[in-house]
Formats: sequence, structure tokens, C-alpha cells
Amino acid sequence: MSAIIEIKNVTKEFKVLNRREGLKGSLRDLFSRDYKTVRAVDNISMTIEQGEIVGYLGPNGAGKSTTIKMMTGVLEPTSGEILIGGVVPYQNRTKNAQEIGVVFGQRSQLWWALPLIESFRILKDIYQITDADYEGMLKLYRSLVDIEPLLHKPVRQMSLGQRTLSDILAAFLHNPKIVFLDEPTIGLDVSMKAKIRTLIHALNREKHTTVILTTHDMGDVDALCQRIVIIDKGKMLYDNDIEHLKGFFGAYRTLKIRVDGDLKAQAEEIGKALPDCAVSADEDWISVLVNEEKQKVMDVLAQLQKTHRIRDMQLEEISTEEVIKKIYEEGVQ
Amino acid sequence: MKKKNLRFYIRIYFKILAQDLKSKMSYRADFIISTIGMILTNVSGFIGFWILFRNFPSINGWSYHEMLFLYGFSLVALTPVQCFFDNNWNLRGNVYSGDFIKYCFRPINLFFYYQSEVFDIKGLGQLAFGLGTLIYAWIKLGLAVTPLMLLKTLVFLLTASLIMIAMQNAAAAACFWIENSFYVLDLAMRFKEYAKYPVTIFSPVFRFIFTFIFPIAFIAYYPSLVILRPDEVPVLSWLSPVIGIVFFYVSYKIWMRGATRYSGTGS
Repeated sequence: MSAIIEIKNVTKEFKVLNRREGLKGSLRDLFSRDYKTVRAVDNISMTIEQGEIVGYLGPNGAGKSTTIKMMTGVLEPTSGEILIGGVVPYQNRTKNAQEIGVVFGQRSQLWWALPLIESFRILKDIYQITDADYEGMLKLYRSLVDIEPLLHKPVRQMSLGQRTLSDILAAFLHNPKIVFLDEPTIGLDVSMKAKIRTLIHALNREKHTTVILTTHDMGDVDALCQRIVIIDKGKMLYDNDIEHLKGFFGAYRTLKIRVDGDLKAQAEEIGKALPDCAVSADEDWISVLVNEEKQKVMDVLAQLQKTHRIRDMQLEEISTEEVIKKIYEEGVQ
Repeated sequence: MKKKNLRFYIRIYFKILAQDLKSKMSYRADFIISTIGMILTNVSGFIGFWILFRNFPSINGWSYHEMLFLYGFSLVALTPVQCFFDNNWNLRGNVYSGDFIKYCFRPINLFFYYQSEVFDIKGLGQLAFGLGTLIYAWIKLGLAVTPLMLLKTLVFLLTASLIMIAMQNAAAAACFWIENSFYVLDLAMRFKEYAKYPVTIFSPVFRFIFTFIFPIAFIAYYPSLVILRPDEVPVLSWLSPVIGIVFFYVSYKIWMRGATRYSGTGS
């Protein structure tokens, strides 16, 4: 295996205007401009091998899109070095574009009024795909998904799921070395999500394509990524195997119960009875955060049933957001 | 990867252009209404012109048919910008919404790719109308039909087009720097209305503005002089092809510079 993406100490700063408040403030903004520097990406380094699927995670505004824009050559890093297949993307945008595919932020890149097959034909010309490669790719697509109904349908008439699927197929069409997928499953139903995950997985396996996936859906990460990178506020917080992360946080589950009476008081009581768990209460539920390495959720539930009359219960797995929050608060390693 | 030469770009251009025509035809009512609109715009423009000349047989030494020549010339010269660079009008919206980023991911020239996406078929009507007017004026003025005259006309029509395209590119590119840049483009395009009049009818201030700041005098006036008044052609007329090419190149550079400055909205 060889490194396809090399990022060394990359930082990206933006100058943002400090806007003053009110009409008077706006008038003053017209004449004196007061800029501050915001660091969207702060000293990030990583190396990604050909064929990896990497989950690139972080809360909104963490700097994920900025990093991807730098990797695709749209933005120039303020400092640091990026090499994509040995090419500096910002200096060779068109050369770099030949080797990557992008599905970005729910903006379809297909021709809106055209049937998918015609978009494919234009892409075939733009990327100079040979007839043999093109036919081979279509054949592969046919074996993976049912594309016949999509091919002759104008993109504007497609459902969101069909459109996303089409965009992903279009991104892989020229057999790029890397495909960037930005929240590919957002807003899709469960079966479509599963379909898209299967497709990405299969294309990665067949074509050995490197996939950089940003998502807020832990399901995507579980289904696809062997490795995840987490950033927040522009800083890299975590870069390792997903198993490693689960070792730290996957053991946590939240048991939510509903009981009669004053929830706050009872939550305190439960907290005393279960010293290994963090217990809190909101208006409807008492939440018990259980570390399964120390205590099984079923045992906690059994214990609670002896002391309380539980009217309703829920079990929540820890979400990406919570993992990130925990990493941010507590750190890893 | 094969080298991307001119042939590659021409091939791609027609592919992408064909998709736009297909798209437009797929909205039939829209297509018909905009065609009717285009015809009405041209007819009403012409009626205004005609009424003016019913009342004043000549303006500042320019006869009706000479003015008609200028009018036709400017219409033809404005056709390429209308047909091939109409996507400039959508640039601000695309940049504002963040959709512009999709153009940055393709391995072809950004300016080319962006402009190739829209072909405004309405421009063809304008071309027909302009050509008709030009030929009519040509005959009425008793101008000779020699290969040299035709070549001159062609060269200066191209020149005028380049200048117009350059102005529009530069004005559209303003959106990369200024958030509410619609007025820049709108202003630049409003000035083109004055392109069909001889610059000598304006006051010296405007004559200066239209020659050196918003060089719309180069769209019809200076080029037409070469054909209409071959005895009193100023140096600026002969220079205009060079000015056109330089202007176009500069505007292309401005546009590309703006585009690389573009950072897209968060998503």
C-alpha cells in the first residue's frame, strides 16, 4: 500500500469582518473595517493509504468542509503541505480533479434536466474515459444496483435517494483514486441508506478507491469505516481505528426510564444506588449512563425494577456527537 | 490522460451546449414565451428608434440609414455575449448559494466550463434581426459589397463582441469580491444601450467615459466609422481589434482570479 493523501501541518485561516451592531454600527463598518482571523483548520496532519475508507467526523463548523476543499484544490492552505497522489491540489486543480470524485453537501453536480445516462456521456467526454472503461463501469454498476430505471429519468424528477445514488455513481464513473463523500446519507430513509452504504463498500472493494466520508450518522461509520479522524474547532482530536474508539466509548449506553413521582429526587436516589453510573433527569426521563465494561445494562435494569415501578424505557447507543463531545471533554489515548 | 487541446474543448463545448438546448426544450411553455418576449423586445426597441427618426431626420450629422447601420451593427455585435456568455448573469446567484463549487471539481478550464453550460437561444433572434437591419442599411446607404469590406465588417464585429464580452465578464466577476454585486453587472449592461448611438452626440464628459472607462463606443461607433466614413477614421478605430483582444484577456484573468479566490459556503 502507498500513501495517496499526505497532509502535513496544514492550517487554514480566514479573515472575517467584525460586524458592529445596529444601523450605526453598519455605517461605521462601511468606513473602518475591523478584521479578525479565524482559524478554520489548525495544524492538521494525516496520511491516508490507497483503498482506505476514512470517516472524517466532527460537529458542524469543525473544519471538515474546509479540509476537503483544500484537498480538492478549491482552497489554498494558509500554511502546511497537501499532496494528493503526489500532486499539490491547489496548484494543479485540473490535474487533481481528474483523479478525484466529489459528492459535496447535497448539491447535485449532474445536469438537472437530463436523464442520468446523458450526464454520464458528458462526463465520459470531460474525463476522457475510454469506451472500454466506460462500458466496464456501467457493467459493474448494473451488477451492484438496479440502475435501469434511473438511467432514463431526468435528474430533476428523481427522489432525493435516487439523486444521491446517481451522484455517487457519477463520482466513481471515471475511476478516480479518491472519492470525497460529504454526508451522502443525510435525509434518506433506512433502506436507501443501506443501499448507498452497500454501494460505496462494493465500489471501494472492486476499484480499490480511497473514500473520505464525512457524516453525522454513526451508522455510516459502523458500516463503512475502518478508520476515523475526528476534528473539532479546526484541531485534530483523534485519528485511529474505529475499534480503538469503541474500546473507549462504545461501552457506554444510556438507559432511559420513566417512573411516577418526582424525577429529580428519584434520580438522586438512583445515583446513590448505582455509583458506577452517571444519572440525570429531565422533564420526562431519568437517564442512566452505563459503562458496560463495569456493569451490564440488563443488570442495572433488573436492579431498578426491584426498587421502582418502571412505566416505560428506552435504550440509547452513544451517538457520534456524544463520542466527539466526550473526546473533546476528556481526550483520548 | 490525453492532452486537452482545442479540439477536445470544442467537442466538449458542443456536448454541454446540446444538453442545455435539450434542457430548455424540455420546458416548452418557457421556451415559447421567452421566444415571444425576445421578438417583442427587439420590435419595441426598433419602434422607439423609428419614432425618434420620424421627428429628427438626422442627429448631429448622422442620417437615418447611418444610424440604422449602427443599430444593426450593435445588435449583431451583442449576439455572442447574449448567446455564449449568458451564464454570467447567474454567477452571482451561484456564488452566493455555494453552487458555484460544483464547477471547481471538473478537470477542465473553469471559465470555459462555467460559460459553456448555458446557451441562450434568444440571441439567435437578435442576430437575425440585427443582420436584417444591417443589410437593409447597407443597401440603402449604397455601400459597396467587396471582399475587403466584408472582411472589415467581420473583423470589427468580432472586435465589438470581444469588448462587450470583456465588459460583462469583468462586471460579473465583481460578485467574487462584492456580496451585492448585481448592480455592477446591471449598470455595465445598461450602458450598452448607448452603444448604438454615435458617440459624438454625447457631451464631452460622456464621450470620454464611453471611450475610456466603459468603452461602449468601441461596440458600434468606432468600428462602424471604418465602414461608414472611411475618410475620417480615428486611430482608435484601427486600434480597436487590439483593444478588444487585450480587454478580453484581462477580463478573463480577472474572472479566473475571482474564481480561485472563491471559497464556497459551508455545508
